[in-house]
Amino acid sequence: MEERKALIKIKPKSYADGEIVKVDFMVMHPMETGMRKDKKTGQIVPAKYINSVKFDYNGKIITSMNVWESVSVNPVFTIYMKVNGAGNLKVTFTDSTGEVNESSIEIKPKG
Amino acid sequence: MQRRDFIKTLGAAAVIGAVIPTMSFAADAPKGPNAFSYKQALDTITGGKTPVKSDKIHLKVPEIAENGAVVPVTVEVDSPMTESDYVKAIYIFATKNNNVRCVAMHLTPANGKAILGTRVKLGGTQDVAALVEMSDGSFLVNSQSVKVTIGGCG
Repeated sequence: MEERKALIKIKPKSYADGEIVKVDFMVMHPMETGMRKDKKTGQIVPAKYINSVKFDYNGKIITSMNVWESVSVNPVFTIYMKVNGAGNLKVTFTDSTGEVNESSIEIKPKG
Repeated sequence: MQRRDFIKTLGAAAVIGAVIPTMSFAADAPKGPNAFSYKQALDTITGGKTPVKSDKIHLKVPEIAENGAVVPVTVEVDSPMTESDYVKAIYIFATKNNNVRCVAMHLTPANGKAILGTRVKLGGTQDVAALVEMSDGSFLVNSQSVKVTIGGCG
């Protein structure tokens, strides 16, 4: 199973407890629709796209997404989240071929 | 007998000729393995309810997209996001893509703000629609047209 490069960014960089922060989740993924033809071989490239993204904050799923092939290559998902104590934000993403990956970031509120 | 057969085939040909054009022009029926039309998607989600067009949904999409492969879309919904009144789900549709569904996001009050930002592929000039499900079970909708210079599918 291929390791996917994924990145979670929290803005602003420094935040207090209770503050609403922006969470950018980026992942390197081809997002093949299953309708595109390979120009060299003339064969249809099989579909392979992310179909589920789950944001898990300290063991509680705060946001889940169903995704289809109309989302761009190397997708970016922006959500907002209320900081509620120190902990861990884990993003689990599954693609249509059954590939499961996850990425996480530590949540450290200031003060 | 021969003459009769000839007339029969002639009649059949006329019928086929009349049917085929209507079939090929039948709306913009989506094709492909994962095809899903806008109406079909709306009906599946709302269960037959008619969504209300609302200004509470702020849909940020460029009016002219040079490259249809990457079109940034941001949906922001005015909502206090409390336990009793929050946005349950945000759906983004590209109304003329083969599969109109882009993202379905399920929120909780822990989000604080009802905002979804992503980038979608658009096959051509079309409307991008956002459907929002509120915690009281009502549906809101808003859409904006996007001119695409170069299509992003295929």
